[in-house]
Amino acid sequence: MSVPAAQAWAVARHVVTNKLLRRKRYPLVMMLEPLMRCNLACAGCGKIQYPAQILKKHLTIEQCLAATDECGAPMVSIAGGEPLMYPLIGELVRRLVKRKKFIYLCTNALLLRERLAEGTFEPSRYLAFSVHMDGLEEDHDESVCRDGVYAEATAAIKDAVGRGYRVTTNTTLFDNSQPFRVRRFFDEMMELGVEGMMVSPGYSYAKAPDQEHFLRRERTTQLFSDVLSDKAKSWKFNQSPLFLQFLMGKKDFECTPWGNPLYTIFGWQRPCYLLQEGYASTFQELLDTTQWENYGRQSGNPKCQDCMVHCGYEPTAVNATFSSLKELKNTVVAMVTGKI
Amino acid sequence: MEQERSLEGWTPELDGSMTLERVIDLAFDYRGNTTIVCTDGSEMVAYVFNRNKEVAEPFIQVFDDKGNGPFTIPYARIQSIQFTGKDTAAGRSWEAWVKRREAGANESRPQPGT
Repeated sequence: MSVPAAQAWAVARHVVTNKLLRRKRYPLVMMLEPLMRCNLACAGCGKIQYPAQILKKHLTIEQCLAATDECGAPMVSIAGGEPLMYPLIGELVRRLVKRKKFIYLCTNALLLRERLAEGTFEPSRYLAFSVHMDGLEEDHDESVCRDGVYAEATAAIKDAVGRGYRVTTNTTLFDNSQPFRVRRFFDEMMELGVEGMMVSPGYSYAKAPDQEHFLRRERTTQLFSDVLSDKAKSWKFNQSPLFLQFLMGKKDFECTPWGNPLYTIFGWQRPCYLLQEGYASTFQELLDTTQWENYGRQSGNPKCQDCMVHCGYEPTAVNATFSSLKELKNTVVAMVTGKI
Repeated sequence: MEQERSLEGWTPELDGSMTLERVIDLAFDYRGNTTIVCTDGSEMVAYVFNRNKEVAEPFIQVFDDKGNGPFTIPYARIQSIQFTGKDTAAGRSWEAWVKRREAGANESRPQPGT
């Protein structure tokens, strides 16, 4: 596993502190989407279909920072839309770094080389570019519905790595993913010099054009078992080993929908990153007024039955790590040996 | 897979089977602008991004068609909602992209005799 020690320590401290304070619900990663606008229109994405006046809007720096401060999560994932199109992205990152937030800037990387050349960012242990890569060249370009994106993204990754930035990849697997091609893809990403990879099954957004290629639960565990069993030593994952074990069907977790809360121009999305059932104006209001018992697999909510996405289950996995000596040992062994 | 029918252009008629609350739910789910007709006769073209019916005075929240807002409008002030704006989630299928891609690949192939 490849999470830097300082980041792992910050997360551990956050989880243990909240446990000691007996807080029932607390966030782990704040998802911050300062704009909805994007320079791609991927088939699996249901996040950009809005009228023009909405796509033109973006959060102010003050709104972003106030939300981040109220939320209190140690990690902030800046997504969107395409965050490199956010005109204030450099300042936002600088001010979050100053707050010692660990940032994953989730990007399709089409503008990354341009932003790096402009000097928009400075390398920091708090900043990682998380480049969206859904597979080998043909697979990725098909997933994002545009040819040439893979080539630009890999060039940008090399550029960023060469300039001393932390770079990870984030990959969504769909039901047409072929295990041997995913394994070859992981080899290619590690050869680019990325710090680690993040992987998750896709979720069927109600507004996504492509509704046919999302994974059912049994197919998910089969696919991830095929991909991750006998994992290559070179592969490093920037996520909880227990979450990967969950994806392989080795563990059974329940969703933690408040674990990765999302803040956008509409407010705090209720109940989670994937379902869009309303908005709260403050994080506390989100926690206090969402009927959490209606979500997660055990609730019987049909929208939750096939979901195994990281934003709901990685917080569960991290919480499990600090809930028993057995799982702590399991996590440490996986991080040291690289075996899942 | 059959495409879900869009509500674009729909002017709901409220009766026993179609309540204002149902229309508001549909407007909240709609990815386009709507025209909100208020009980005082005024109208606003806006995107409905939130609705809360679990509170004492249920309300919707909107951004108008210039992006101003958010504005909060109580259910009690709403006469009706018309689906007048373009449905941005409709008609952009993955299959259409695959067809375009395949057509593009065929065009770039050398044709016989060239």
